[in-house]
Amino acid sequence: MSQQTIIVKRDVQAEQKADAEVERVRLGRRGTLVVNLLSSPGSGKTSLLEETARHFAGRRSMAVLVGDLETDRDAQRLAPLVPVAQLTTGGACHLELPLVQRGLTALGDPAVDFLFIENVGNLVCPASHDLAEHLRVVLISTTEGDDKPGKYPKMFRTSQAMLITKLDLLPHVPFSVEAVTADAQRIQSALQVFACCSLTGSGIQEWCDFLEEQHQLQLAAYHEPAGNR
Amino acid sequence: MHERSLVQNLLKQVRQIVAEQGGGCVSEICVQAGDLSGVEPLLFAAAFEEMVPAVFSEECQLKLDLVPVTAVCAHCQHEFEVLDFQFHCPECQSGSVDVIQGDDLQLISITLEPKDSHEGVSA
Repeated sequence: MSQQTIIVKRDVQAEQKADAEVERVRLGRRGTLVVNLLSSPGSGKTSLLEETARHFAGRRSMAVLVGDLETDRDAQRLAPLVPVAQLTTGGACHLELPLVQRGLTALGDPAVDFLFIENVGNLVCPASHDLAEHLRVVLISTTEGDDKPGKYPKMFRTSQAMLITKLDLLPHVPFSVEAVTADAQRIQSALQVFACCSLTGSGIQEWCDFLEEQHQLQLAAYHEPAGNR
Repeated sequence: MHERSLVQNLLKQVRQIVAEQGGGCVSEICVQAGDLSGVEPLLFAAAFEEMVPAVFSEECQLKLDLVPVTAVCAHCQHEFEVLDFQFHCPECQSGSVDVIQGDDLQLISITLEPKDSHEGVSA
């Protein structure tokens, strides 16, 4: 046998993406919208989820998978409000689908309206991994600076929405909502932008309205008769 | 640092392909990383060097090519290279553009040597 070069030209993550699509369709068909929340550490993902749970209480069901390197502190905060499972990565900088599926199993695979994945705080690695989400939302807090989209383009390019958090601190920090929006929309023109403050509740209604709208829009395709898909 | 996870996926994929080919000794793996793939080339190469001996052999070389991001405008169909991650069509200024290259990590090719030329390199 002589030297042989085999041309492949295949996405290295093709298998992972295909697995994620299968899971996305499975969850979508039963009416669960999967929302992947990504941001830097400390941007307010857990506080946002607490407020979202309070807003939806008694009207919409939700569950949360919490990704962290260590501890279950965020899961403990959310547990009184919603079903929650901790995904401890033990040092890994992002979540991958098998860990998410393990978390779903730990929760008893509940048929909730919304499944939130609170990703590991990191604006780099999580952007490269499909977790079967229907909606990818990047959070950026006013304390982080308004120059982040240009510095972490993949995260903003692959998200459908950007949520500006800690709006109450705006008078005290050098942060421009207009500048960060323009920077992000140069990378992803279709990016929908919201601003909120979990402490005061400002913007939570708009955020939850957006989730309701996305639930209807994104899952509509799964409700069509099989012949139309 | 998620490059280790990507290298793991790469080596798994290569092993499957080599098995489909009926075995062989892998001497080179060519991959292409786009500017929007999230791959840091130095970290990827370091992870490859560390992980490849467990699957193939230290003699198995990585050839990593970097490719720019290119996109096509959904409005006027103009194809262009995306510079500085500004996803706007230079012709019509539309922001509605689809990335056609540079947002993933691709396994391009595998070079297999005769089994007896590299002892212990086979999959």
